[in-house]
Amino acid sequence: MSHHKLEAKNLHFNYPDGHNAVKGMSFSIHHGESVGIIGANGAGKSTLLMLLMGVLFPNQGEVCVGDVQVTKKTLPMIRQRLGMVFQDPDDQLFMNTVYDDVAFGPRNYKLNEKEVEKRVLNALEVVGILHLKDRAPFKLSGGEKRAAAIASVLSMQPDILVMDEPTAALDPKSRRRVMELLRSFKHTKIVTSHDLDMIYEMCDRTIVIKNGEIAADGVTSEILVNAELMDACGLEVPLALQNCPVCGSKK
Amino acid sequence: MANIADSIYNMRLLDDLARQETLIHKLHPLVKLLTTVSYLTVVVSFGRYEVAGLLPLFFYPVMVLALAELPLKPILLRILLVSPFIIGIGILNPVFDQQTFELAGKEFSRGWVTFLSILLKSGLTVTAALLLIATTGMDRLAGALRILKVPRIFVLQLLLTYRYISVLMEEVARTLRAYSLRAPKQKGVHRSAWGSLAGQLLLRTFDRAQRIYEAMCLRGFAGEYHSGEINKISGWDWAYLGGWVAFFVLARMYNIPLLIGSLLTGVIR
Amino acid sequence: MHMADALISPVVGGAMWAATAGVAAYSIKKVQTEMDEKKIPLMGVMGAFIFASQMINFTIPATGSSGHIGGGLILAILLGPYAGFLTIASVLAIQALFFADGGLLAYGCNVFNMGFFSCFIAYPLIYKVLMKKEYSTTRIFLASVLTAVIGLQLGAFGVVLETLFSGKTELPFGTFVLLMQPIHLAIGVVEGLVTAAIATYIWNARPEIMEKASSGETIGNISIKKVVAGLVAAAVVTGAGLSWFASSNPDGLEWAMIKTAGTAELEATGGLHQQLSDLQSKTAFLPDYSFKASEEEPEPSGGEGEEAWPAVDGGTSTSGLVGGSLTLILAALVGGGISLMKRRKYRINS
Ligand SMILES: Nc1ncnc2c1ncn2[C@@H]1O[C@H](COP(=O)(O)OP(=O)(O)O)[C@@H](O)[C@H]1O
Ligand SMILES: [Mg+2]
Repeated sequence: MSHHKLEAKNLHFNYPDGHNAVKGMSFSIHHGESVGIIGANGAGKSTLLMLLMGVLFPNQGEVCVGDVQVTKKTLPMIRQRLGMVFQDPDDQLFMNTVYDDVAFGPRNYKLNEKEVEKRVLNALEVVGILHLKDRAPFKLSGGEKRAAAIASVLSMQPDILVMDEPTAALDPKSRRRVMELLRSFKHTKIVTSHDLDMIYEMCDRTIVIKNGEIAADGVTSEILVNAELMDACGLEVPLALQNCPVCGSKK
Repeated sequence: MANIADSIYNMRLLDDLARQETLIHKLHPLVKLLTTVSYLTVVVSFGRYEVAGLLPLFFYPVMVLALAELPLKPILLRILLVSPFIIGIGILNPVFDQQTFELAGKEFSRGWVTFLSILLKSGLTVTAALLLIATTGMDRLAGALRILKVPRIFVLQLLLTYRYISVLMEEVARTLRAYSLRAPKQKGVHRSAWGSLAGQLLLRTFDRAQRIYEAMCLRGFAGEYHSGEINKISGWDWAYLGGWVAFFVLARMYNIPLLIGSLLTGVIR
Repeated sequence: MHMADALISPVVGGAMWAATAGVAAYSIKKVQTEMDEKKIPLMGVMGAFIFASQMINFTIPATGSSGHIGGGLILAILLGPYAGFLTIASVLAIQALFFADGGLLAYGCNVFNMGFFSCFIAYPLIYKVLMKKEYSTTRIFLASVLTAVIGLQLGAFGVVLETLFSGKTELPFGTFVLLMQPIHLAIGVVEGLVTAAIATYIWNARPEIMEKASSGETIGNISIKKVVAGLVAAAVVTGAGLSWFASSNPDGLEWAMIKTAGTAELEATGGLHQQLSDLQSKTAFLPDYSFKASEEEPEPSGGEGEEAWPAVDGGTSTSGLVGGSLTLILAALVGGGISLMKRRKYRINS
């Protein structure tokens, strides 16, 4: 399925204040892959996602979804196929009930209200918060908010799911739930995080970013054990791969 | 509106109350809005010497409170909070209107009557507005506004403001807590921090607005806001509106307590 | 300076609603045609910001007291007058609904007093003019304080006029003005100083925000004139319509007009009211019903076109007292009865 391919070709991006946040990144992601993007704070992960989604446009280089280049013109079409979950669910849940929020996307694509309802209920069912559909977002817990934010993207039935730090600020149980949820999503996944244990469990492939450049790109299990690389990029080998603190044995 | 925790609590309370499923809650939002507006108009249209004539209008809030199973205390508390301003303006009436009248063999200044009239009206109007939101909720009220052809932009903006009040209030609360922990003896924010404290909050707000806009665009937003379908107004809804309006008009035309009173005192006499 | 429902008459409330709706409609059109839709989330979140920032107490130097801001001016500065006005309107709507700060009928008055004067009079005529040449800290301070003070003075005067036209208080015009204006002079200075501090900070940190707000706006003479003209027309038409409707009720506008003209016209003449009282006398079932008498013989006093004093004799007052108490008791009984029934139903169900 080549039309699900996501390709970044030599991306460069400067913020208006001149800060050069992305310096020549290239990669391509195939259908069904789950890719982790890791890097220290300020490495440029969020900026890269914005470029992929067409929220920002590169100063140089291009992003292609399938065979279509991401431009202002192709955005409506592209955005139906890419769904993005923001880092702070409060930015994403801007309506006053969970239902309205999950319905926001489908309604914008002018689906009739029956179809909207079907999609909303389905998305809420998938993330397991059907019972919260009439709640106001400010009355949800952190984990519930995250689930609602994911549902609001799933209701658009995207082919590619992009997530910015989905497990940040979650307690262990909620984190586990979100991870299971993501695993159940069968299409392409792109996830940024500092939660390297999560990346280790969820993603087959990992791209490491350092100061706006790609420092490494390869199989997760090989990259995350590379202590030297991790250290150079302001990261750390995930706990699951470190020596056992109790018995000292190598994992 | 001084206390952040109180304000957030108040909004959440009203939001919770609005999500009940009673007879009143199930009414069409537009019908409730129209009933409230007619009620307010009638209350306010009473002359300033009118006291007795206003009393039958107590039936409306009492009935709605009971039927909608709302707690009395928080609503009464709200009324008390608003009263100082009303009292401040009204209390001068007895000073400026010195003419007197007789009641039960005693002389009173007429100003007290106008003052009492203002107090009654204040209580009734404040209650009616709170009952509207406590039985309807912001999202359904926005639906009513859409039926009334209030432009989409305004409705969406109103909803967004409502949505982000608690988020930003919590942000302000955190900032103020951080400030006061390091400036324990100050009552408010010192002049040297006016600009930076409020300004940073403002910049964060701008950035948040930007992110929200992006989140909206990613889900197909292009300047138009599509609300879901709103139920049709049923016969029962119309009956509710019609019934109350008829009652309000009657109460406006006839001084019902006076009628009852003269009937009774006449009989006794 | 929120006006409450209890202090206004339907005529004044309706006229101000119409005026506010007119300005709002015009502003929405402007926002739609002249700006990108990016402003909508910004307006929404800025409204919430104003709400939240009203919780911040700013210590006022040399007084030992503290105050907070209303936010009208900072909105106009950062969003421009049209978007600023709409944002204030939604803040006031939520305050009216959830916090009972100002009522629904008085909503038009409040938006006008707190939004229109700062966004469409003070901001373009003072702030914009003063800031035209250049941005500097002193200029921002000067312009902000002046604009805030004048905006609030106009708003306070609006409150005075609306209250007096409504005829609910006995406060003489002069006293009311002397009460309102000086207080709002102080409030205006604080608002101006805090606004200036914030604006200066933003100007230093992110100058592009201020530039965008001031460049995107074309407040030409034409649009301002149009706004004012449309407004006056709307207010006059509604005011006239409503006061015709309430023509015999010497409440509200007419009361003020009589007062200024100095002629007391006491007779309730024609119109709806006459018909109503005719109907009343026809259907009155008590022959010695004293209310009727009071309608027909207004007390010849006051000389200010006051409405009829309903309680002419002690008998009426007593009837009112008895009937009033009865009405209230009945209302309480009905309410209590319903609640009791509901509670019992729950107990049975559970
Ligand atoms: N709006 C902006 N304007 C200027 N610089 C920015 C902006 N947003 C982010 N940056 C800068 O770009 C770099 C990358 O940021 P970001 O992509 O958010 O990092 P990450 O998500 O990896 O933590 C950082 O140095 C950050 O300071
Ligand atoms: Mg980030």
